[in-house]
Amino acid sequence: MNFLKKLPLQLAPMALAESQICKSDLHTSAVCCRVQSGRYRITTKRNRPLTYEMANPPHFIAHRKSWNSWNTSTLLDSQRPAQTAVEDLFIRKFITGTWHALTCSEIIIKRQHNTIRIASIIRQAISPRKMYFLIGYTEELLSYWMQCPVTLELQTVADKKDVVFKYI
Amino acid sequence: MYLSRQLRLLPKASIGRSITTSSTHYTTTTGAAVAPAGEHIEIPNRIERSPTDILKALASTVGRDHTAPHYKYHDDPFLIPMSNMAKRTYAMSKEAGRKAAKWIKEEHRELFLHQEAQPAIEKFAPSMVYTEESEVDESSLGQLIELGELKDAVLVYNLLEQKGMAVSPELKQSLLELVCFHNNQDPLPEEYIEERWFLQNNQRRERHGKTWKDGDLAEKLYAEIEPKTPQTYAALIRGMAKYLQCERAYALLQEAGEKQIQLDTNTFNSIIQIISFLKDNAEQRWQLCTELLQQMSQQKLRPNLGTLNAILQCISTFGNFKLARSSALKVLPEFKQLGVSPSLGTYYYLLIIFCRERGPVSHVIVDILNEIAGREFTVEHPKDTYFFATAMDVCRNHLNDKALAKKVNELLHTGNNYDLVGDSFKESIYYRNYLALLCQTESIEDFMLTYDLLVPNIYIPEPGIMEEVLRTIEINAAVEHVPRIWSDMVVFDHTHRESLLLYVLRIMVDNRPNAETPSQSQLPEQCAKVALDMYNKIEESVRRIKKVSFTGQMLGDILTLLVRGDNYEKASEVFSHIDKNQHRIPGTPAESALQEYVEASIKEKSPSQALAALQYAVDNNMESSVIAKRIHDGFTLNEAHLAKLKSLVGESFLEK
Repeated sequence: MNFLKKLPLQLAPMALAESQICKSDLHTSAVCCRVQSGRYRITTKRNRPLTYEMANPPHFIAHRKSWNSWNTSTLLDSQRPAQTAVEDLFIRKFITGTWHALTCSEIIIKRQHNTIRIASIIRQAISPRKMYFLIGYTEELLSYWMQCPVTLELQTVADKKDVVFKYI
Repeated sequence: MYLSRQLRLLPKASIGRSITTSSTHYTTTTGAAVAPAGEHIEIPNRIERSPTDILKALASTVGRDHTAPHYKYHDDPFLIPMSNMAKRTYAMSKEAGRKAAKWIKEEHRELFLHQEAQPAIEKFAPSMVYTEESEVDESSLGQLIELGELKDAVLVYNLLEQKGMAVSPELKQSLLELVCFHNNQDPLPEEYIEERWFLQNNQRRERHGKTWKDGDLAEKLYAEIEPKTPQTYAALIRGMAKYLQCERAYALLQEAGEKQIQLDTNTFNSIIQIISFLKDNAEQRWQLCTELLQQMSQQKLRPNLGTLNAILQCISTFGNFKLARSSALKVLPEFKQLGVSPSLGTYYYLLIIFCRERGPVSHVIVDILNEIAGREFTVEHPKDTYFFATAMDVCRNHLNDKALAKKVNELLHTGNNYDLVGDSFKESIYYRNYLALLCQTESIEDFMLTYDLLVPNIYIPEPGIMEEVLRTIEINAAVEHVPRIWSDMVVFDHTHRESLLLYVLRIMVDNRPNAETPSQSQLPEQCAKVALDMYNKIEESVRRIKKVSFTGQMLGDILTLLVRGDNYEKASEVFSHIDKNQHRIPGTPAESALQEYVEASIKEKSPSQALAALQYAVDNNMESSVIAKRIHDGFTLNEAHLAKLKSLVGESFLEK
């Protein structure tokens, strides 16, 4: 705003008023996303379990942790950014619902060419046989939905506590 | 790629020049002789590539990884199958999941009508449903036949008939062919590979009797088609032959012959294949076979690979070994003259003709392997997948030749030949024979190398093969391999076989490890661990369905091993188990086991345990004087113990 000072006096108030109008148009509320999203509140008893992924706030993406969706839809001139985001949401909901109470990590969705690879950590709460059934079912149904090959890349842990990084 | 494309665009002369100049430049700098002036570099023509060639080239760089499970299984310790049962269940449940998803797609078809992919992929969309009310015409019938959708095609055909719409004879012919091929039964869908892989041996068993549906749609269609073309006859004859309606198929062939209808080679092949069902003895079969071949030559039909294999199949059913042999030897050169090159199926038939259980030993497989070593095969005939399992069977049971088995194995792993291994059943027969042969003929070290390579990811030994392996270990006194084999047995769930357990124990007891040699210093301890593990396993098994019960022999061996492994605490626990349940356990432990236990008790200075052993020996009418003497010499006994000893073996013994 330094340049305003050099303007003639009568111009300055007008410009100032204009800029104030602009400001209120562009920004009507406080910035929340930087403060809240992707962060977890400390509980009084300090017993909220966090995975490594949850323990690192978003500004550590690409430093200490990585993205949950891997695709090129937001690059310049690329296609389907909105559909991709919605599809990813659908996949996440589908997996957490189908593998009910079994997923104990974020669901990582990686798109390469025409395939979608879905990675996650699963609790060993059901027999391997049932797990194979769910793998076959998930892969097939999602590929009907997305109309492309879908692969699951699961890892299993014996206990949910195995993925807990810290308690807050 | 880019560079070569650029080069192609340039005029020919300039390419030649630019390359020659660069080459002279190179040679002058290195100081070598200058290339002759007239040297000309030929640029090869562009090779047309298919879209998947790069993928194939990439795939050829990776082989089967012996250290990982097959890629259809998930690469996670929890999800890796560890027994034959688990391999089957996991693969099948994955496919069951697929089927469930497909069912959902068909059931909620309105949700899956969106089109995401461009161009649209039909397999991702729900399939068309035809009902009694659907609007159909000839073209939709044609489409369904093209897709091989048997059930829908038949339904549409019936609809067309009801509505009185005419169906052209060509379409009827192709429907007839479809119905005959599948015997009017929906086949197992092609996408369920696992089901095919694990199911085929069941199917084979039930294919012995006639399954052709008499008076069904196929015959109705056949009656409707007028005038009858050679193709009509061919379709029905082949269908009947395939589903073993032999008499009528042959009758139809004769009828066609009388009507001077020109049939094709494959139809004759299908009849030659079922000769064994038409005639009873070898001479009649061979006569009919030659008759049919003569008919073919009269009709100027050129025989093909199918003919060769069909004849050999017919010959392989001859009970008369000499006739089978001589006729096979007559057939082969004739087909060679005709330029028919044999497939693996042909060799399979040769093997079963020449190498019979009760026939003389034949080395035909040596010649076969010399002929085909290093060649890559593709599927040409349905029986091609039988070759490898049979060849390995011949190597083991007929010739017992290790070198040949290795040659067969090498052939199996040449190029894409592994695709011809058949199904899970044949694969396991192949490896069963291979491992059994190697463990009989190879040294134990070499055998264990192969064992490590194949087990458990490629092949999991059945209990019978495990016994063979244990026998080899026993013969070679290679007790150092026992802990490893035992852990495999636990993983493969062989621990409920009493014979195997006894075998393992016997090997460990009979081959007392030499503690002085450094390589075996750990062994007594490991053996004790195995024995203890086995003891716990058997105790647990009481609660299971497949129960293993202790025998005295078994417990005695466990006792010995625990004593040798310096685990006296557990040993006395095992002994007290023997002592308490002596009425329930059949048999008694060996005397040597008790002696070793007493010996250990002396070392541990626990006379009451030793006396308990003596008591047991006396109670069960075993030789007790040696033990009593050992106890008397080994301990300085107090009054109470001495009195007990006296009461057990008598006063007289101590005075000696």
